[in-house]
Amino acid sequence: MKVPEIRPPVELVVASGKGGVGKSTLTAVLALTLAEKGYRLVAVDADAEAPNLHLVLGVEEWSRVDEVREGRLAYILDDRCTRCNICAEVCTYGAVEVKDGRYTINPYICEGCLTCSLACPPKAIRYRFRVKSGEIRVAETHYGFTLVSAETMPGRPNSGKLVTEAKNLGKKLLGPSGVLLVDAAAGIGCQVVSSLTGAQLVVLVAEPTLASLSDLKRIHKLTKHFGIAPMLVINKYDLNIDTLPLIEEYAEKENIPVIGRIPYDPSVPKAMAEAKPITVYDPDSPAAKAAKSIANHIAENVLPHWRAWWAKYRPRKPEPYVPIILRPGQDNSRKHA
Amino acid sequence: MATIKIAFATVRGGLDDVLADRFGRAPTFTIVEVDPATGEIKNIEVIQNPGYTAGGGAGVRAAQTIAEKGAKIYVGPQPGPNAYAALQYLGIKVIPLTGTTVRQALQAALQQLQQQ
Repeated sequence: MKVPEIRPPVELVVASGKGGVGKSTLTAVLALTLAEKGYRLVAVDADAEAPNLHLVLGVEEWSRVDEVREGRLAYILDDRCTRCNICAEVCTYGAVEVKDGRYTINPYICEGCLTCSLACPPKAIRYRFRVKSGEIRVAETHYGFTLVSAETMPGRPNSGKLVTEAKNLGKKLLGPSGVLLVDAAAGIGCQVVSSLTGAQLVVLVAEPTLASLSDLKRIHKLTKHFGIAPMLVINKYDLNIDTLPLIEEYAEKENIPVIGRIPYDPSVPKAMAEAKPITVYDPDSPAAKAAKSIANHIAENVLPHWRAWWAKYRPRKPEPYVPIILRPGQDNSRKHA
Repeated sequence: MATIKIAFATVRGGLDDVLADRFGRAPTFTIVEVDPATGEIKNIEVIQNPGYTAGGGAGVRAAQTIAEKGAKIYVGPQPGPNAYAALQYLGIKVIPLTGTTVRQALQAALQQLQQQ
Protein backbone atom coordinates (compact mmCIF):
# COMPACT_ATOMS: atom_id res chain seq x y z
CA MET A 1 0.00 0.00 0.00
CA LYS A 2 1.33 3.41 -0.92
CA VAL A 3 1.00 5.81 1.98
CA PRO A 4 -0.73 9.04 1.00
CA GLU A 5 0.78 12.37 1.91
CA ILE A 6 -1.55 14.03 4.37
CA ARG A 7 -1.32 17.76 3.83
CA PRO A 8 -2.05 19.76 5.91
CA PRO A 9 -1.36 17.38 8.82
CA VAL A 10 -4.24 15.59 10.51
CA GLU A 11 -4.51 15.46 14.28
CA LEU A 12 -5.63 12.15 15.76
CA VAL A 13 -6.26 11.99 19.51
CA VAL A 14 -6.58 8.87 21.65
CA ALA A 15 -8.82 9.64 24.64
CA SER A 16 -11.01 7.73 27.04
CA GLY A 17 -12.39 9.69 29.97
CA LYS A 18 -11.67 6.82 32.32
CA GLY A 19 -8.06 6.02 33.12
CA GLY A 20 -6.37 2.66 32.78
CA VAL A 21 -8.39 1.47 29.81
CA GLY A 22 -5.41 1.19 27.47
CA LYS A 23 -4.88 4.57 25.83
CA SER A 24 -1.09 4.52 25.94
CA THR A 25 -0.90 0.84 25.04
CA LEU A 26 -3.07 1.44 21.97
CA THR A 27 -1.29 4.69 21.10
CA ALA A 28 2.05 2.88 21.09
CA VAL A 29 0.77 0.18 18.74
CA LEU A 30 -0.84 2.80 16.52
CA ALA A 31 2.34 4.88 16.38
CA LEU A 32 4.48 1.84 15.53
CA THR A 33 2.09 0.70 12.82
CA LEU A 34 1.81 4.13 11.20
CA ALA A 35 5.59 4.62 11.27
CA GLU A 36 6.11 1.11 9.85
CA LYS A 37 3.79 1.86 6.97
CA GLY A 38 5.72 5.01 6.17
CA TYR A 39 3.52 7.76 7.54
CA ARG A 40 5.25 10.95 8.61
CA LEU A 41 4.42 10.91 12.28
CA VAL A 42 5.02 12.75 15.53
CA ALA A 43 3.54 11.31 18.73
CA VAL A 44 2.63 13.68 21.57
CA ASP A 45 2.18 12.50 25.14
CA ALA A 46 -0.42 15.01 26.30
CA ASP A 47 -0.93 13.43 29.70
CA ALA A 48 1.21 16.14 31.29
CA GLU A 49 0.28 15.24 34.84
CA ALA A 50 1.32 11.62 34.51
CA PRO A 51 3.25 11.13 31.29
CA ASN A 52 4.18 7.53 30.54
CA LEU A 53 4.09 6.98 26.78
CA HIS A 54 7.89 7.25 26.77
CA LEU A 55 8.02 4.30 29.16
CA VAL A 56 5.86 2.15 26.88
CA LEU A 57 8.07 3.15 23.94
CA GLY A 58 11.27 2.41 25.87
CA VAL A 59 12.72 5.92 25.56
CA GLU A 60 15.97 6.11 27.51
CA GLU A 61 17.25 9.54 26.65
CA TRP A 62 15.73 12.89 25.74
CA SER A 63 17.34 14.69 22.84
CA ARG A 64 15.94 18.01 23.95
CA VAL A 65 14.36 19.33 27.15
CA ASP A 66 12.66 22.75 27.23
CA GLU A 67 11.71 24.26 30.53
CA VAL A 68 8.41 26.09 30.73
CA ARG A 69 8.39 28.90 33.25
CA GLU A 70 5.21 30.57 34.24
CA GLY A 71 3.41 32.30 37.07
CA ARG A 72 4.67 33.51 40.42
CA LEU A 73 4.96 32.39 44.02
CA ALA A 74 4.99 34.48 47.16
CA TYR A 75 7.62 34.23 49.88
CA ILE A 76 8.08 36.12 53.16
CA LEU A 77 11.21 38.04 54.19
CA ASP A 78 11.58 36.86 57.74
CA ASP A 79 13.55 39.88 59.00
CA ARG A 80 10.82 42.25 57.85
CA CYS A 81 7.89 40.16 59.08
CA THR A 82 6.20 41.59 62.18
CA ARG A 83 4.11 38.44 62.83
CA CYS A 84 0.90 40.44 62.52
CA ASN A 85 -0.92 37.45 60.98
CA ILE A 86 -2.73 39.62 58.41
CA CYS A 87 -1.41 37.60 55.46
CA ALA A 88 -2.80 34.41 56.96
CA GLU A 89 -6.17 36.10 57.41
CA VAL A 90 -6.44 37.39 53.85
CA CYS A 91 -5.13 34.34 52.02
CA THR A 92 -8.15 32.59 50.47
CA TYR A 93 -6.14 29.45 49.82
CA GLY A 94 -4.74 29.02 53.30
CA ALA A 95 -1.19 28.99 51.97
CA VAL A 96 0.37 30.86 54.90
CA GLU A 97 1.85 28.51 57.47
CA VAL A 98 3.07 29.40 60.94
CA LYS A 99 5.74 27.25 62.48
CA ASP A 100 7.59 28.19 65.69
CA GLY A 101 6.40 31.78 65.28
CA ARG A 102 7.85 31.99 61.74
CA TYR A 103 5.58 32.76 58.82
CA THR A 104 6.15 30.88 55.56
CA ILE A 105 4.14 30.30 52.41
CA ASN A 106 3.52 26.81 51.15
CA PRO A 107 4.53 26.89 47.47
CA TYR A 108 2.20 24.01 46.59
CA ILE A 109 -0.83 25.96 47.77
CA CYS A 110 0.13 29.54 46.74
CA GLU A 111 -1.63 30.70 43.57
CA GLY A 112 0.40 33.90 43.20
CA CYS A 113 -2.70 36.08 43.53
CA LEU A 114 -0.82 39.04 45.18
CA THR A 115 -3.44 39.51 47.92
CA CYS A 116 -1.06 38.93 50.84
CA SER A 117 1.57 41.36 49.52
CA LEU A 118 -1.06 44.08 49.17
CA ALA A 119 -2.30 43.51 52.71
CA CYS A 120 1.10 43.12 54.40
CA PRO A 121 1.75 46.28 56.52
CA PRO A 122 5.61 46.09 56.57
CA LYS A 123 5.71 44.97 52.91
CA ALA A 124 7.57 41.79 53.81
CA ILE A 125 6.18 39.66 51.01
CA ARG A 126 8.09 39.24 47.76
CA TYR A 127 7.53 37.18 44.65
CA ARG A 128 9.51 34.70 42.68
CA PHE A 129 8.51 35.12 39.05
CA ARG A 130 8.72 32.66 36.17
CA VAL A 131 8.57 29.64 38.41
CA LYS A 132 9.33 26.42 36.58
CA SER A 133 5.97 24.84 35.83
CA GLY A 134 6.98 21.98 33.63
CA GLU A 135 9.10 20.51 30.88
CA ILE A 136 8.57 19.65 27.27
CA ARG A 137 10.81 16.82 26.21
CA VAL A 138 11.66 15.42 22.81
CA ALA A 139 13.06 11.99 21.99
CA GLU A 140 13.73 9.92 18.89
CA THR A 141 12.18 6.51 19.52
CA HIS A 142 13.69 3.23 18.33
CA TYR A 143 10.73 2.85 16.02
CA GLY A 144 11.38 5.67 13.58
CA PHE A 145 9.28 8.55 14.86
CA THR A 146 9.65 11.46 17.24
CA LEU A 147 7.97 11.66 20.63
CA VAL A 148 7.12 14.96 22.31
CA SER A 149 6.23 14.59 25.97
CA ALA A 150 4.88 17.23 28.34
CA GLU A 151 5.41 17.01 32.08
CA THR A 152 4.12 19.39 34.75
CA MET A 153 5.91 20.02 38.00
CA PRO A 154 3.89 18.76 40.96
CA GLY A 155 1.62 21.48 42.31
CA ARG A 156 1.96 23.83 39.35
CA PRO A 157 -1.29 24.61 37.60
CA ASN A 158 -0.44 24.86 33.91
CA SER A 159 -1.10 21.46 32.39
CA GLY A 160 -3.36 22.86 29.65
CA LYS A 161 -0.78 25.35 28.53
CA LEU A 162 1.97 22.74 28.55
CA VAL A 163 -0.13 20.45 26.39
CA THR A 164 -0.76 23.30 23.95
CA GLU A 165 2.96 24.00 23.74
CA ALA A 166 3.84 20.33 23.37
CA LYS A 167 1.32 20.03 20.52
CA ASN A 168 2.67 23.19 18.88
CA LEU A 169 6.21 21.81 19.07
CA GLY A 170 4.96 18.51 17.64
CA LYS A 171 3.37 20.33 14.71
CA LYS A 172 6.58 22.27 14.10
CA LEU A 173 8.66 19.06 14.07
CA LEU A 174 6.12 17.41 11.81
CA GLY A 175 6.24 20.11 9.16
CA PRO A 176 3.68 20.59 6.42
CA SER A 177 2.32 17.05 6.17
CA GLY A 178 1.76 13.92 8.22
CA VAL A 179 -0.05 12.73 11.31
CA LEU A 180 0.06 14.21 14.81
CA LEU A 181 -0.86 11.40 17.16
CA VAL A 182 -1.89 12.67 20.59
CA ASP A 183 -2.18 10.46 23.67
CA ALA A 184 -4.59 12.40 25.88
CA ALA A 185 -4.91 12.24 29.65
CA ALA A 186 -7.79 10.58 31.42
CA GLY A 187 -10.63 12.83 32.45
CA ILE A 188 -12.27 15.80 30.77
CA GLY A 189 -10.30 18.63 32.37
CA CYS A 190 -8.07 21.44 31.19
CA GLN A 191 -5.35 19.32 29.63
CA VAL A 192 -7.82 17.05 27.84
CA VAL A 193 -9.60 20.10 26.43
CA SER A 194 -6.20 21.29 25.20
CA SER A 195 -5.49 17.88 23.67
CA LEU A 196 -8.75 17.93 21.73
CA THR A 197 -8.64 21.54 20.54
CA GLY A 198 -7.79 21.64 16.87
CA ALA A 199 -8.06 17.86 16.37
CA GLN A 200 -10.06 16.27 13.58
CA LEU A 201 -10.29 12.63 14.65
CA VAL A 202 -10.51 10.94 18.02
CA VAL A 203 -10.15 7.29 19.00
CA LEU A 204 -12.23 6.74 22.13
CA VAL A 205 -11.14 3.80 24.25
CA ALA A 206 -13.63 2.12 26.58
CA GLU A 207 -13.85 -1.06 28.58
CA PRO A 208 -17.06 -2.87 29.47
CA THR A 209 -17.63 -1.36 32.89
CA LEU A 210 -20.28 1.11 34.01
CA ALA A 211 -17.57 3.53 35.11
CA SER A 212 -16.05 3.49 31.64
CA LEU A 213 -19.46 3.93 29.99
CA SER A 214 -20.20 6.93 32.16
CA ASP A 215 -16.81 8.48 31.37
CA LEU A 216 -17.18 7.63 27.69
CA LYS A 217 -20.38 9.68 27.59
CA ARG A 218 -18.61 12.61 29.20
CA ILE A 219 -15.58 12.58 26.89
CA HIS A 220 -17.84 12.05 23.88
CA LYS A 221 -19.81 15.13 24.85
CA LEU A 222 -16.57 17.10 24.82
CA THR A 223 -15.55 15.75 21.40
CA LYS A 224 -19.01 16.64 20.09
CA HIS A 225 -18.47 20.16 21.36
CA PHE A 226 -15.31 20.45 19.26
CA GLY A 227 -16.87 18.81 16.19
CA ILE A 228 -14.38 15.92 16.18
CA ALA A 229 -15.24 12.68 14.37
CA PRO A 230 -15.05 9.77 16.85
CA MET A 231 -14.29 6.05 16.56
CA LEU A 232 -14.52 3.57 19.39
CA VAL A 233 -12.22 0.77 20.54
CA ILE A 234 -13.52 -1.56 23.24
CA ASN A 235 -10.63 -2.91 25.26
CA LYS A 236 -10.80 -5.99 27.52
CA TYR A 237 -14.21 -6.61 25.93
CA ASP A 238 -14.49 -10.16 27.27
CA LEU A 239 -14.05 -9.17 30.92
CA ASN A 240 -17.65 -8.25 31.40
CA ILE A 241 -19.97 -9.60 28.72
CA ASP A 242 -23.04 -8.20 30.52
CA THR A 243 -21.97 -4.56 30.19
CA LEU A 244 -20.58 -4.85 26.66
CA PRO A 245 -24.01 -4.39 24.99
CA LEU A 246 -24.55 -1.13 26.91
CA ILE A 247 -21.38 0.33 25.38
CA GLU A 248 -22.31 -0.93 21.93
CA GLU A 249 -25.84 0.45 22.21
CA TYR A 250 -24.50 3.86 23.16
CA ALA A 251 -22.08 3.80 20.22
CA GLU A 252 -24.85 2.87 17.81
CA LYS A 253 -27.24 5.49 19.12
CA GLU A 254 -24.55 8.19 18.85
CA ASN A 255 -23.24 7.13 15.41
CA ILE A 256 -19.80 6.17 16.75
CA PRO A 257 -18.25 3.43 14.60
CA VAL A 258 -16.77 0.59 16.67
CA ILE A 259 -13.49 -0.10 14.90
CA GLY A 260 -12.28 -2.94 17.06
CA ARG A 261 -12.44 -5.07 20.18
CA ILE A 262 -9.38 -6.14 22.14
CA PRO A 263 -9.60 -9.18 24.45
CA TYR A 264 -8.23 -9.21 27.96
CA ASP A 265 -4.73 -10.57 27.75
CA PRO A 266 -2.22 -11.13 30.60
CA SER A 267 0.66 -10.44 28.22
CA VAL A 268 -0.28 -6.71 28.23
CA PRO A 269 0.91 -6.07 31.82
CA LYS A 270 3.97 -8.23 31.10
CA ALA A 271 4.79 -6.06 28.08
CA MET A 272 4.43 -2.98 30.29
CA ALA A 273 6.84 -4.45 32.80
CA GLU A 274 9.32 -4.95 29.95
CA ALA A 275 8.73 -1.35 28.71
CA LYS A 276 7.83 -2.62 25.25
CA PRO A 277 4.77 -2.06 23.09
CA ILE A 278 2.59 -5.17 23.13
CA THR A 279 3.16 -5.88 19.43
CA VAL A 280 6.91 -5.95 20.04
CA TYR A 281 6.79 -7.95 23.28
CA ASP A 282 4.54 -10.71 21.97
CA PRO A 283 3.21 -10.13 18.45
CA ASP A 284 1.21 -13.38 18.53
CA SER A 285 -0.73 -12.64 21.70
CA PRO A 286 -4.47 -12.09 21.19
CA ALA A 287 -4.32 -8.46 22.40
CA ALA A 288 -1.39 -7.65 20.10
CA LYS A 289 -3.20 -9.11 17.10
CA ALA A 290 -6.39 -7.21 17.85
CA ALA A 291 -4.57 -3.93 18.49
CA LYS A 292 -2.53 -4.41 15.31
CA SER A 293 -5.64 -4.96 13.21
CA ILE A 294 -7.21 -1.80 14.67
CA ALA A 295 -4.05 0.15 13.85
CA ASN A 296 -4.01 -1.31 10.32
CA HIS A 297 -7.64 -0.31 9.88
CA ILE A 298 -6.87 3.28 10.90
CA ALA A 299 -3.77 3.36 8.68
CA GLU A 300 -5.48 1.88 5.63
CA ASN A 301 -9.11 2.92 5.81
CA VAL A 302 -9.37 6.00 7.99
CA LEU A 303 -6.31 8.22 7.54
CA PRO A 304 -5.99 8.09 3.72
CA HIS A 305 -9.59 9.31 3.43
CA TRP A 306 -9.85 11.15 6.70
CA ARG A 307 -11.89 14.02 5.28
CA ALA A 308 -14.57 11.61 4.04
CA TRP A 309 -14.48 9.79 7.38
CA TRP A 310 -14.82 13.07 9.21
CA ALA A 311 -17.75 14.12 7.03
CA LYS A 312 -19.46 10.78 7.67
CA TYR A 313 -19.07 10.57 11.44
CA ARG A 314 -18.67 14.14 12.60
CA PRO A 315 -21.28 15.29 15.09
CA ARG A 316 -24.24 16.81 13.29
CA LYS A 317 -24.43 19.83 15.50
CA PRO A 318 -22.08 21.07 18.17
CA GLU A 319 -23.01 20.24 21.71
CA PRO A 320 -24.80 23.30 23.13
CA TYR A 321 -23.41 24.73 26.31
CA VAL A 322 -25.72 26.63 28.60
CA PRO A 323 -23.72 29.12 30.61
CA ILE A 324 -24.16 29.02 34.35
CA ILE A 325 -24.58 32.64 35.36
CA LEU A 326 -24.31 33.53 39.02
CA ARG A 327 -25.28 37.01 40.11
CA PRO A 328 -24.68 38.49 43.53
CA GLY A 329 -27.59 38.02 45.89
CA GLN A 330 -29.10 35.17 43.90
CA ASP A 331 -29.54 31.66 45.12
CA ASN A 332 -26.32 30.15 43.85
CA SER A 333 -27.24 26.52 44.33
CA ARG A 334 -27.00 24.80 40.96
CA LYS A 335 -30.20 23.49 39.54
CA HIS A 336 -29.79 20.52 37.26
CA ALA A 337 -32.31 20.29 34.50
CA MET B 1 -25.51 52.18 8.80
CA ALA B 2 -23.89 51.14 12.01
CA THR B 3 -20.70 49.13 11.88
CA ILE B 4 -19.98 46.00 13.83
CA LYS B 5 -16.74 44.57 15.13
CA ILE B 6 -15.78 41.01 14.28
CA ALA B 7 -12.95 39.28 16.15
CA PHE B 8 -10.82 36.66 14.40
CA ALA B 9 -8.41 34.31 16.21
CA THR B 10 -5.11 34.73 14.36
CA VAL B 11 -1.41 33.95 14.60
CA ARG B 12 0.36 37.13 13.50
CA GLY B 13 -2.73 39.16 12.80
CA GLY B 14 -3.95 41.04 9.75
CA LEU B 15 -6.27 40.31 6.86
CA ASP B 16 -3.91 37.93 5.07
CA ASP B 17 -3.06 35.83 8.11
CA VAL B 18 -4.65 32.40 8.46
CA LEU B 19 -7.00 31.66 11.33
CA ALA B 20 -5.32 30.17 14.40
CA ASP B 21 -6.22 26.61 15.35
CA ARG B 22 -7.40 27.44 18.86
CA PHE B 23 -9.32 30.23 20.56
CA GLY B 24 -8.11 30.58 24.15
CA ARG B 25 -4.43 30.27 23.31
CA ALA B 26 -4.45 31.98 19.93
CA PRO B 27 -1.48 34.39 19.84
CA THR B 28 -3.47 37.38 18.59
CA PHE B 29 -6.93 38.56 17.70
CA THR B 30 -7.59 40.60 14.60
CA ILE B 31 -10.59 42.83 15.17
CA VAL B 32 -12.20 44.10 12.00
CA GLU B 33 -14.73 46.88 12.08
CA VAL B 34 -16.99 46.44 9.11
CA ASP B 35 -20.21 47.78 7.67
CA PRO B 36 -22.38 44.65 7.44
CA ALA B 37 -24.52 46.00 4.59
CA THR B 38 -21.74 46.94 2.18
CA GLY B 39 -18.88 44.84 3.51
CA GLU B 40 -16.70 47.95 3.66
CA ILE B 41 -13.86 47.65 6.15
CA LYS B 42 -13.65 50.69 8.42
CA ASN B 43 -10.84 49.68 10.73
CA ILE B 44 -8.51 46.78 11.48
CA GLU B 45 -6.89 46.28 14.85
CA VAL B 46 -4.53 43.51 15.95
CA ILE B 47 -4.37 42.84 19.68
CA GLN B 48 -2.33 40.40 21.73
CA ASN B 49 -4.25 37.71 23.50
CA PRO B 50 -3.41 37.58 27.22
CA GLY B 51 -4.78 34.01 27.22
CA TYR B 52 -1.82 32.91 25.06
CA THR B 53 0.53 32.98 28.02
CA ALA B 54 -2.04 32.39 30.78
CA GLY B 55 -1.54 29.44 33.06
CA GLY B 56 -5.21 28.68 33.45
CA GLY B 57 -8.47 30.25 32.35
CA ALA B 58 -7.07 31.13 28.94
CA GLY B 59 -10.39 30.90 27.10
CA VAL B 60 -12.27 33.10 29.53
CA ARG B 61 -9.53 35.71 29.46
CA ALA B 62 -9.54 35.69 25.66
CA ALA B 63 -13.33 36.13 25.63
CA GLN B 64 -13.04 39.04 28.03
CA THR B 65 -10.38 40.67 25.85
CA ILE B 66 -12.41 40.64 22.65
CA ALA B 67 -15.52 41.78 24.54
CA GLU B 68 -13.61 44.76 25.94
CA LYS B 69 -12.70 45.70 22.37
CA GLY B 70 -16.41 45.75 21.56
CA ALA B 71 -16.54 42.70 19.28
CA LYS B 72 -20.02 41.28 18.75
CA ILE B 73 -19.03 38.32 16.60
CA TYR B 74 -16.17 35.87 16.92
CA VAL B 75 -14.90 33.86 13.93
CA GLY B 76 -12.35 31.07 14.36
CA PRO B 77 -11.92 27.60 15.80
CA GLN B 78 -14.61 26.28 18.13
CA PRO B 79 -13.86 27.60 21.65
CA GLY B 80 -13.71 25.23 24.59
CA PRO B 81 -16.71 24.78 26.92
CA ASN B 82 -15.73 27.47 29.43
CA ALA B 83 -14.75 29.98 26.77
CA TYR B 84 -17.96 29.21 24.89
CA ALA B 85 -20.04 29.91 27.99
CA ALA B 86 -18.16 33.16 28.57
CA LEU B 87 -18.76 34.26 24.98
CA GLN B 88 -22.45 33.46 25.29
CA TYR B 89 -22.69 35.40 28.51
CA LEU B 90 -20.94 38.37 26.91
CA GLY B 91 -23.40 38.22 24.01
CA ILE B 92 -20.79 37.40 21.39
CA LYS B 93 -21.97 35.26 18.49
CA VAL B 94 -19.68 32.37 17.58
CA ILE B 95 -19.06 31.36 13.97
CA PRO B 96 -16.80 28.26 13.98
CA LEU B 97 -14.36 28.25 11.06
CA THR B 98 -10.76 27.13 10.47
CA GLY B 99 -8.20 26.71 7.72
CA THR B 100 -8.89 29.94 5.81
CA THR B 101 -7.44 33.41 5.74
CA VAL B 102 -9.06 36.24 7.68
CA ARG B 103 -10.18 37.81 4.40
CA GLN B 104 -12.08 34.67 3.34
CA ALA B 105 -13.46 34.18 6.84
CA LEU B 106 -14.74 37.75 6.83
CA GLN B 107 -16.64 37.11 3.60
CA ALA B 108 -18.16 33.94 5.07
CA ALA B 109 -19.18 35.76 8.24
CA LEU B 110 -20.77 38.63 6.31
CA GLN B 111 -22.70 36.16 4.18
CA GLN B 112 -24.08 34.50 7.31
CA LEU B 113 -25.06 37.89 8.70
CA GLN B 114 -26.85 38.94 5.54
CA GLN B 115 -28.86 35.73 5.44
CA GLN B 116 -30.37 36.49 8.80
